[in-house]
Amino acid sequence: MLKSYNTAFKLVRHMATSASKSPKLTDVFIVGGGPAGLGLATGIKTSSKLKHLNTVLVDGGDIKGKVAPFYDNPPDFYTNRVVSVTHPTREFIEDKLGATLRKDRIMSYDGICVTDGVSKGLIDMERPGMAWMVEILNVQSSLLNRINQLKPSGFNLLDKTKVVDIKYSDPEDASSWILVSLDNGETYKTRLLIGADGFNSRVKTFSGILSQGWFYNKSAVVATMKLDMEPLKIRGWQRFLPTGPIAHLPLPGDNATLVWSTTNELAKLLTSIPVEQFTELVNAAFVLEDVDMKYYYNQLMNGKMTTTELKEDVQFRTNQILASLSDESMADDIYPPPITDVLDHTRAKFPLKLFHADTYCQERIALLGDAAHATHPLAGQGLNMGLCDTDALVRALESATDRGLDVGSLFALEPFWSERYPINCKLLSLADNCHKIYSNTFPPIVGMRTLGANIINQIGPIKDYISGTLSYSGKY
Amino acid sequence: MNRMQCLKSIKVRRSPWILTRFKSTDASASEVEHFRNLAPTWWDTHGNQRILHLMNLARLDFIQRNIRNTIKIENSDIYVPGFNYKKFLPKDISTAVQEEFDNEIEKILISRKLKVLDVGCGGGILAESMGRLPYVQHVTGVDLTKDCIEVAKLHAKKDPALKGKLTYELKAVEDVEPNEGYDIVTCFEMLEHVDSPSSILSHSWRKLKPNGILFISTINKDLISWFTTIFMGEYVLKIVPVGTHHLNKYVNSKDIIKWFQSTVPNKYQVMDVKGTMYLPFKAWVEHNCSDVGNYFLAIKKLPK
Repeated sequence: MLKSYNTAFKLVRHMATSASKSPKLTDVFIVGGGPAGLGLATGIKTSSKLKHLNTVLVDGGDIKGKVAPFYDNPPDFYTNRVVSVTHPTREFIEDKLGATLRKDRIMSYDGICVTDGVSKGLIDMERPGMAWMVEILNVQSSLLNRINQLKPSGFNLLDKTKVVDIKYSDPEDASSWILVSLDNGETYKTRLLIGADGFNSRVKTFSGILSQGWFYNKSAVVATMKLDMEPLKIRGWQRFLPTGPIAHLPLPGDNATLVWSTTNELAKLLTSIPVEQFTELVNAAFVLEDVDMKYYYNQLMNGKMTTTELKEDVQFRTNQILASLSDESMADDIYPPPITDVLDHTRAKFPLKLFHADTYCQERIALLGDAAHATHPLAGQGLNMGLCDTDALVRALESATDRGLDVGSLFALEPFWSERYPINCKLLSLADNCHKIYSNTFPPIVGMRTLGANIINQIGPIKDYISGTLSYSGKY
Repeated sequence: MNRMQCLKSIKVRRSPWILTRFKSTDASASEVEHFRNLAPTWWDTHGNQRILHLMNLARLDFIQRNIRNTIKIENSDIYVPGFNYKKFLPKDISTAVQEEFDNEIEKILISRKLKVLDVGCGGGILAESMGRLPYVQHVTGVDLTKDCIEVAKLHAKKDPALKGKLTYELKAVEDVEPNEGYDIVTCFEMLEHVDSPSSILSHSWRKLKPNGILFISTINKDLISWFTTIFMGEYVLKIVPVGTHHLNKYVNSKDIIKWFQSTVPNKYQVMDVKGTMYLPFKAWVEHNCSDVGNYFLAIKKLPK
């Protein structure tokens, strides 16, 4: 009886395996070829302790055709996805991974001037080499270039490929290896599945890990801008308007990049008006008062203002404000250099949110970068948090390998998330609180934050601590 | 659990010789029963064996360091600076020196294809870890609790990378074949669970090849050990199940070294002995007071 049952069972199993192609075994399966995913792949293949791990990276986009060529053949304009790369991130990319960013497309800046859109509050943080402005494509393509240099064995980059299905190889056992089916018909069975697939992470959905957070109901408008001349002092400017912060950050030469967080409605307006009007509004937003801005938004929304009228009005009011300054040279300190143009095709918008996953790992699964957290861009920490996560994960995997652990087990992954969760919490709440304090227009609160900002501005050590936290992504 | 009961537990005398025992290295029936109950949760890294999983990290650090220390680099292409280079050389150069050095040691180790015997393997926590080290060719794990051996076999099957690298057997160390067949023999957290530690030691020693290393980890018989492993561990913090430890079975590190001195004089070399303690919320860390609390011991068998 038992015997016949056994043979029947074997037969069924045999038929099942011959019907579907048997899955390919791999140690690490990375979903997502953004900086975090590529960083992990490079980290694994660079580390002498980890390079034996078979690694597969899939991405739906055209990584080989569109991302990789940037390194040898970048476009003659600056792309709009620009990030601020802080010290720990740059050390990880250049020293640990051995990748070399394209130096001619990086701009180091020496501090940031934070102003209040409705009061005279000012925090002028000076810090030589505070961070670097780098295009995300520069980061990605440098990592790809590094991987190509290594010519690693046991590495497979599958681009233009999507994940169709994820399941446990043994549905009863959540610590069993994970089966990932792809739209090219292949199936992989992996020891460790990495979700580096962004905010709408498929891996995160599969893992069942929950996140806490909210949408701000605001959008950020980004664009690459042209200045009338190269600035003497290379620094960033951020002005907190009641609708959200607007930031002006330097790129090489007479280029600069813009991140303007505002309401969804205004974001729609800002991306649809002619680029000449947009240019005027950017200049106005850093100098003029909130009532002026509201007037322009209204007029433009109703189509009651022509480009020439707008230009003249902004010019007039700006001159009025500059004339009221006690010292003319102050203008260069608190206002960014005026822009003359915006590259139209670089104007884009994306929704703003704050999310933080309750945990970054469980048996066989780890989440990296935006899959684990999403932040407001005002502190410039999003990419840095992602790459510092990757750094921590690489170190956790190295130490697990030294100790003979299964690198896909939760026990091996725990140090990674216990190191990163508190720091990420701190950076997320920093950005969130700044946003909340500054989006308020209730006069007592405006008064208190202005007082607070002016006090901070006078006390060097506090200012140093803040700029250090930003410059070292919370590791200061 | 109240204090009276705790105090009583210290006074427990060594269990009387069981009539059915026939092997000098046998564990008592009560120990076997105790571990039989633990078997199902052996691999639950968040359950009552978590402390052992955490300790395994420190064991591996100790083992790796001692094995690496036996390797001498003879390749003259590898630069081995004769000074504290980490202090004096720039960071990128010192890491490059270290990496080259480590890679060479790894290369030599891999060519040695070590064979490991894990005595008292339990559910296979140490055996699996050893099996994954690139320079270990094969690990044999033996234990006297059938359920533990089954758990170990089942768990090892989950990882294809371990295929062919692990064998688990339900047998006493004296029945393991062959003598002088293993480069590394480990007796981790087991001497405190047996009635006759000396016979375990002598049989384990016999299985070791010349130049092989015996690794031992157990607990000193002192008040601090009672306080940490039994009072705090079992009764107050309930990290491990009550009845896991018996103070009267603990073995002092000095006694082990004395045993070697009297049994195999001049044929052994104590490579390293380190105390180890658990820092809550952190990890197991090593310290230099090896005659207090838990300790690790590495002893090399000198060639004849």
